[in-house]
Amino acid sequence: MYIRIERGSSSPISRQIAEQIRSQCLAGILKPGRCLPSVRQLASELAVNVNTIVRVYERLASEGFVELRHGEGTFVLPPTKASSSIAELRGQREQFSREFNAMVTRGLLLGLAPSELRAMLTTAALEAKSMILKQKQSE
Amino acid sequence: MSEAAIVIERVAKSFGPNQVLQDVSITVPAGQTLALLGRNGAGKTTTIRILLGMIPADCGVVRLGGLDPVTDSVKVLGQVGYLAEDQTMYPWMTPIELFRFLAPFYPTWDMKLAHDYLERFAIPRHTKISRLSKGQAVKLGLGLALAHRPSIVILDDPAMGLDPIARKEFNRDLVDNLQVSGATVLYSSHLLDEVESVSDAVAILDRGRIVRSGLTESLRDEVKQILLPLDYARAKMPPEGLLDVRRHDDRLVIIADHAREFIEDLSAKSIDFNVVDLRLDEIFEAFVIGRTQDWPSESASQAVTASP
Repeated sequence: MYIRIERGSSSPISRQIAEQIRSQCLAGILKPGRCLPSVRQLASELAVNVNTIVRVYERLASEGFVELRHGEGTFVLPPTKASSSIAELRGQREQFSREFNAMVTRGLLLGLAPSELRAMLTTAALEAKSMILKQKQSE
Repeated sequence: MSEAAIVIERVAKSFGPNQVLQDVSITVPAGQTLALLGRNGAGKTTTIRILLGMIPADCGVVRLGGLDPVTDSVKVLGQVGYLAEDQTMYPWMTPIELFRFLAPFYPTWDMKLAHDYLERFAIPRHTKISRLSKGQAVKLGLGLALAHRPSIVILDDPAMGLDPIARKEFNRDLVDNLQVSGATVLYSSHLLDEVESVSDAVAILDRGRIVRSGLTESLRDEVKQILLPLDYARAKMPPEGLLDVRRHDDRLVIIADHAREFIEDLSAKSIDFNVVDLRLDEIFEAFVIGRTQDWPSESASQAVTASP
């Protein structure tokens, strides 16, 4: 499982990890039935507080993304209730749209013209697309 | 929740005329990791020395695992691992010699574990300590602090003097060797980037006082930067938890603690404002060097009261 933590980001670490796992579940990169790394393993790999990882896994379990099986591990759940995952996706998109608006505002305040912002978006989208593709292939 | 493994309650300490600590209270529940943050000279080392019973507090209560470190010092030190700031170990010994020298002091010393740490931390066994690198010396200190399987670990600025990679490795060791085994950890630091990922909670010590403590993540939920129109602020009282105020042309940029109510008020009035999430270092800065004098008021003489 590929998780990248941006240290010194203004988004808390637990949120960063949870969001990346969630979106990988939603995008089908993490397939149902797949066993996530143990709390210990992930904490050690990312050099992140053990309790933070426990909280992330518990939150994801309460949201229905994963299942904590005692003594066995944490497993990705199939999107049983399609509706719930669609609602989740909608919520995430709304959140994204708020963040996006904030970014645009910041860009404008920094004196970037809309055309420049558009150019940045095109470049970023191209780069991100090829990265996501590579990730999918290596899974 | 299990009971607190580390308790510091209303501790004060003066050295001669200098009051070094005032009304310091810190609690760490068993199994959690707390980072004590502060600038140089804020009182971190004094707090830790009092916690370990190495110097007496003028007043207040200190407990480690429920015990008083002054009256029960032998028992306390037996269950606590301690890494001193800039630990000066016996430079003429090799790590192996140091182990043999120290083992008899600890009834629960685990020589196999001590050797495991040498291996894990890649510390040469037969090199004189004076020849070890700074990173190796700190890791050796950590190994020594842990070799008797303490349930409480206190580290005084363990990352000081380590390069960025050694710091990251050190963080990983902290997670791997301490948190995984359920130890309670208090460590002091002034490196904020690294603190967030490994600590459950932080306490900010400034000029001998705890100015804020809380769970690392809730701190970031509660302390926000807010951008709002200067004209609007002029007619309004500052929020109670105001920490910092700067003017930028016709806008006011403030940092406030417990700002939710203030923000809700702004939203309700459809003011053109912006809320910005802050990094831990920015929050720390606001508590330690934030200035609140610049809140605009119609009459310049109107005093502004600042928390904390």
